[in-house]
Amino acid sequence: MTITAAIRTTALTKAYGQKRALDAVDLTVDEGSIFGFLGPNGAGKTTMLRLITGLARPTSGSVHVLGHDVATAGNAVRADLGFLPDVPGFYDWMTADDFLRFAGGLFGIGGAVLDERVAMLLDLAGLAGVRTAIGGYSRGMKQRLGVAQALVNAPRLLLLDEPTSALDPMGRKELLDMIASLRGRTTVFFSTHILGDVERVCDSVAILDRGRVVAHGPIGELKARYGVQKVVLEVTGAADEVAARIATRPWATEVTRESGGAIVVTVTDVDAARREIPAMVVAQGTGMSRLDAGEMGLEEVFVELVGGEQR
Amino acid sequence: MSGFAVFAGKEAREIRRTWRLFVLPGILAFFAVTGPLTARYTKEIVGALASDQLGQFQIPDPTYLDSYAQWVKNLSQIALFALIIIYGGIVSAERRSGTAVLVLTKPVSRTAFVIAKATVHSAFLAVVVLIGTLVTWGLTAALFGTAPGAELWSSALVWLVYGVLFVALMTLLSVLIRSSAGAAGAGLGMFALVSIASLWRPFAEYSPAGLTSLPTSLAAGKDAAVLWPVLTGVLLALALVWAAASVFRRQDL
Repeated sequence: MTITAAIRTTALTKAYGQKRALDAVDLTVDEGSIFGFLGPNGAGKTTMLRLITGLARPTSGSVHVLGHDVATAGNAVRADLGFLPDVPGFYDWMTADDFLRFAGGLFGIGGAVLDERVAMLLDLAGLAGVRTAIGGYSRGMKQRLGVAQALVNAPRLLLLDEPTSALDPMGRKELLDMIASLRGRTTVFFSTHILGDVERVCDSVAILDRGRVVAHGPIGELKARYGVQKVVLEVTGAADEVAARIATRPWATEVTRESGGAIVVTVTDVDAARREIPAMVVAQGTGMSRLDAGEMGLEEVFVELVGGEQR
Repeated sequence: MSGFAVFAGKEAREIRRTWRLFVLPGILAFFAVTGPLTARYTKEIVGALASDQLGQFQIPDPTYLDSYAQWVKNLSQIALFALIIIYGGIVSAERRSGTAVLVLTKPVSRTAFVIAKATVHSAFLAVVVLIGTLVTWGLTAALFGTAPGAELWSSALVWLVYGVLFVALMTLLSVLIRSSAGAAGAGLGMFALVSIASLWRPFAEYSPAGLTSLPTSLAAGKDAAVLWPVLTGVLLALALVWAAASVFRRQDL
């Protein structure tokens, strides 16, 4: 089976005067995937979404969405999109029901199908029975309504800009669960600076820094590519001596001490470390209270790629 | 229904459910009621307040034409200023609030967005002006005993073309200028320029600038050539909306 690209950008560049918000970004998002677009504030995530949705035009390069060139496709591509901006703006005089019916109407949905979908989405957003106008909603309520309106057309591609930023922990969990439930049916592309959200639901991720994609691929692959393995060790005594012994081994590339006294060893061969460290501890005549070995998390990959140059 | 029709329906509901229902109609209703009363009783009011100072000067008895002149004068000045201020944000307000982003990422073209706004608000203006004119006509008939329709309706309809022209102008200015106040200021500036330009007779006869003074002439029962000002006014209004849509399509949101 051929997997088609839901989003494909080629040398996509957006400049505002001398500043390049996006710089020659090549990105492919497979259809059916849940894709996390990760980057620190100001990295260019919202600019990218504005280009994908056709709200802004690229300075150079191209964006293809669901096989259409966004620059020329018009309504053909928008009919299959659902979009939640970072701060969704609503008509304050409408109710949630009004807005969902209005949004559905723009997609040409009407009658019983719209009735059923509006009821289901109001329920999903926790706004069923809320009769007050949107002007009186909290930011969290608006964010949930924003998610609901993005789903009104059962989109093939759902674009979410920082969708969890205004939600409380329960709302955030429910939204991430909902996104996960769309796996395989709808392509979800969401931008965020919250690493935990990406790690929890995404298949693939791109990390953006100062307008450039610095890493792109399945999460596991990224961690394998950029993530070195670490061993954390706690001993009952002679920690400095044990650390010095470990530092002589060829698989130990770096040995550091945590503030609590633990020894952190960056290793090239975690199996060798697991085998040899207990023997070294015994040889030093001391005891061992902890030995953890594992891969770096996405957070550490992120920090390694962009964190050292945080502005 | 098409995206255009759904969005136009939203514009119409927005008029019904927000301040828009009260401001322009309220202003026009006030003048539609007070205009004929003022015209009818000006002589008595002035006589009561300044009878000693008038000397030999005699205020002529008012006629229904004075009532019509009041209505058209109020349309041409205060109503037009209100219209310019109200529509300074006709497009930019949706950009500022973020609603344009939610609408324009759905199957509604930017052209449809702009045309729907200009169309619905022109229709709204037409309804309000027609009702106001009807009220003026009825009150004039009641107060003066006679109220021939030709002078009043011809002047009101010619003014309506002028009003629609300014709705179109404000649509373009609201696309070009992101601040509502800025667009309103530019609109008032354009009104001043057109008023000055209309003083040059050849320009007034063959361009929309003639719409500035035509309603007053018609309301006074004078013969006036309306064809070129009205025709060029309608064409210019269409061109302004087209230009607004064309610029809006090229803008980043």
